[in-house]
Amino acid sequence: MSLGAILLAGAVAAEVVGDPEAGRNLAGQCRTCHGIDGFAKIPIAPHIGGEPAGYIAAQLTAFRDGVRTHEMMSVVAKSLSDQQIWDLAAWYGSHKATAEMTADAAGAPEVCVACHGDNGIGLAEDVPNLAGETNIYIDTQLKAFRSGKRTHEVMTPIASELTDAEIRSAADWYASVKVEIESSK
Amino acid sequence: MLTTSYLHAQASAELPPNIERLQSMQSTGVKTFTTVEQTGEYADGIKKALENVKMPDGFKIELYAVVPDARHIAVGPQGVVTFVGTRKDKVWAVTDRNKDRVADEVKDFAPSLTFTIPNAVCFSPDGFLYIAEQNRVLVFPAAEFFYESPDVAVGQVVKQGELIPVDEESFNHTARVCDVGPDGKLYISLGQPHNVTPPDRVQKYMDTGIGGIIRMNTDGTAREVIARGVRNSVGQDFDPATGDLWFTDNQVDGMGDDIPPGEINHMTASGLNFGHPWFGGGDVRTTEYKDETVPVEVTMPVSQTIAHAADLGMVFYTGKQFPEKYQGAIFSAQHGSWNRTTPVGAQIMVSTVDAEGKVTTEPFAVGWIDENGEYLGRPVDVANLRDGSILVSDDLAGALYRISYGE
Repeated sequence: MSLGAILLAGAVAAEVVGDPEAGRNLAGQCRTCHGIDGFAKIPIAPHIGGEPAGYIAAQLTAFRDGVRTHEMMSVVAKSLSDQQIWDLAAWYGSHKATAEMTADAAGAPEVCVACHGDNGIGLAEDVPNLAGETNIYIDTQLKAFRSGKRTHEVMTPIASELTDAEIRSAADWYASVKVEIESSK
Repeated sequence: MLTTSYLHAQASAELPPNIERLQSMQSTGVKTFTTVEQTGEYADGIKKALENVKMPDGFKIELYAVVPDARHIAVGPQGVVTFVGTRKDKVWAVTDRNKDRVADEVKDFAPSLTFTIPNAVCFSPDGFLYIAEQNRVLVFPAAEFFYESPDVAVGQVVKQGELIPVDEESFNHTARVCDVGPDGKLYISLGQPHNVTPPDRVQKYMDTGIGGIIRMNTDGTAREVIARGVRNSVGQDFDPATGDLWFTDNQVDGMGDDIPPGEINHMTASGLNFGHPWFGGGDVRTTEYKDETVPVEVTMPVSQTIAHAADLGMVFYTGKQFPEKYQGAIFSAQHGSWNRTTPVGAQIMVSTVDAEGKVTTEPFAVGWIDENGEYLGRPVDVANLRDGSILVSDDLAGALYRISYGE
């Protein structure tokens, strides 16, 4: 791909502006697992309410394009347009996730806190919240980064150094934090 | 709803797996149980939702226990305690101490151990509890006796990482079910972790039993693959009349709202192939393999069920309390669809077999989808209680229900 094509692709992506109302209508097909406001209804699905819109859009795009795979998400993302992806991202990103942590913050996993915080609320624009996710979900994702099934410039090198026990310990930490999602509507 | 002790959470995070310590009868130091509140607003909400459930005349459904994330059920053969698996990290021990047919106590089983997706729970007739996790199988001798203590007797049937190849671990299709068969062997389903198995995995899965059912001796030896071509079975039981294994199977997504059908299968012999990935459910060919000649002989389901309704747990009714029509019938749970335009399922089905062997499956308990298409509950498994009533688990509400007749 030429430099021009890359710039063009970037420019097109930046021009897509999500409409949360349109996203809310589309979210009818997400709600059985993720909830209409992004508070998940089943353990295998992450809480996506209040995630950065850019993170949600990046994951849906990765599922659609086959870069990230999952037996359910690959099926539903396959037919989404860029506009629909950003609409969904705008809807789920419009809510506010807050964490309530009872444990001493000193026990938080050192390797994670710079981006995910000690309570699992992401501290940067493309960082997902981990607060209150099922421990096995976090465990599965860390192992996917470690094995290369899922890739990310920051997470891949971090996960590659972790043992099974360290992964489970970090997963247990963030899973034990209580998350609340306040709907934007 | 939960009263969780932080002390407990910290201890299980820091300790290595406690199995060796328990095997030498040493204390793990873990003292605290998580107990689940059985009364109050949350329980009342579930009871209210149950008012929507409709069944044939004479049947009654009641809340039996609040059990978070309740999945598959194993009723203790002594009638002391019922164990319930989850897709998280807990197995719940449910006790009806005063025998009023409502549980009095729900607490976590073996809190000194770290579980990963302990969905499958099953008993041998002599009281050994088996728990099949994502990638390990444990056995708990005399579980109905030891469960009162945080430290339990435990053995490993299949070590961590040896049930399936580690690179095939996933979260969704790794909720196992297990049963001890009439031959005394342990039968475990192994879902395959894709919507449709990709071509480069077909042979590997045939060899390992992923996308199939395996059996082994209860000490983990003599493992063999006894069923192949299964997409993701999350329900099985042996017919007490014939000793044959029957199982449900969840079928392919993304082909449309009304295809392919769900399945109830009858395993009449060991070694049969049930058609995945060439068939998406019933005789509907998958898009990915539609031009391929099917290289195996395929056994078709004996009952085709509503597309995407997600048939999960099933049990042959062994009680005498229900009317004659239901004696020996199969009760099975439909979890409900996840991405169908209009949701379907979320009901209990009953299947009867006529003299010619023809299977008829019809709704038995319905009403967990409200008028807005929202789930009030999602049934997962069905189990016989000793008094002839049945238990149903629900992992959305987090509950066990008891269905009785004529009470």
